[in-house]
Amino acid sequence: MKLLLFILFVFAGSAFGQLTWETTEQTFNSKPEDKEVIAKYKFINTGAETVKIQNVRTSCGCTTAALNKTDYAPGESGEIEAKFTFSGRTGRQEKSIIVTTTARPEQPTMLRLHVYIQETVKIEPQFVLWQLGEEPAPKVIHIAVAQDAAAKIVSVTSDNPALKVKLTELKPGKVYEVQITPDSATKPAAATLMIRTDYPPDNPETRYAYARVK
Amino acid sequence: MTAVRQALLILLAALIPASLTAAFHPRRPPWFQETLAPGEETLPTVLAWGQNVFWVDARSADEYMEEHVPGAILLNLEDWEQLFPKFLDSWSPGKKVVVYCSAATCELSREVAERLRQNGISSVFVLKGGWEAWKVKKG
Repeated sequence: MKLLLFILFVFAGSAFGQLTWETTEQTFNSKPEDKEVIAKYKFINTGAETVKIQNVRTSCGCTTAALNKTDYAPGESGEIEAKFTFSGRTGRQEKSIIVTTTARPEQPTMLRLHVYIQETVKIEPQFVLWQLGEEPAPKVIHIAVAQDAAAKIVSVTSDNPALKVKLTELKPGKVYEVQITPDSATKPAAATLMIRTDYPPDNPETRYAYARVK
Repeated sequence: MTAVRQALLILLAALIPASLTAAFHPRRPPWFQETLAPGEETLPTVLAWGQNVFWVDARSADEYMEEHVPGAILLNLEDWEQLFPKFLDSWSPGKKVVVYCSAATCELSREVAERLRQNGISSVFVLKGGWEAWKVKKG
């Protein structure tokens, strides 16, 4: 009797309607020129009754999820299209889309989107600091150009002569080092470092890093 | 049987002072221990830091303009290149940076906090419960 009740409980979902997803997790590796990724999550109603998608929400304003219709009859398939706009994000990103249906309103389905966003030019760190009174020793910013990017660092300049910069190419066209040295760290100073590239050729990108004495 | 009845009576008698202690003792332990993700802090903890806090609002510019924590500076990933230098000009080394966004499930504050840490800003925390937690506490 107990076994019968258990079986009834487990399979109740399929009797009343449920969405079966082709996959609930997708992974993308973006190219340097990409600005967004679009992921499609396909599903089919494998239950015996119509399922209504009540709510689709995303974990971040950077991700939107679109749905053609909300009601799916038994055997009917559909898809949710998720668009993740990078907007300055870099590196490994994990976003989620939460789908609530009438089949299991108390147990929403979590769709996951993993994206590795490659930067054409990676600057690390983007900021160096000397605290007032600290030894004005040089500090270093590393610049790496993505393997498959045809970009080079043309120059690095500082807008404040009291914070000097020196660019060294460590691995031709790929790895650079910028050494920043303040004249002194006895009074506050600020500099914006302009890192000029030759990519893309028609409108070369300038990236920025910052140095502060405070 | 009498022994069982006596045991139950003792248990009931003990339950009365125990319930009163649980309800009214000034240093009673919380019923539910709040779980914090790494780098996350609750509003009471942040408020206890007093003036040693630098607030960062990771929401959109529109939400920030509408209302924000007094003294908070806007910093989000969408306009990072424009906003990060402003953050650097206002921030003081040694202050604890507390980042918040619009809801408990919002990832923006975690993303901004992570980006700040990558750039060598130390003592960066995410406010548990975000802007809503602030609104509830401060009205």
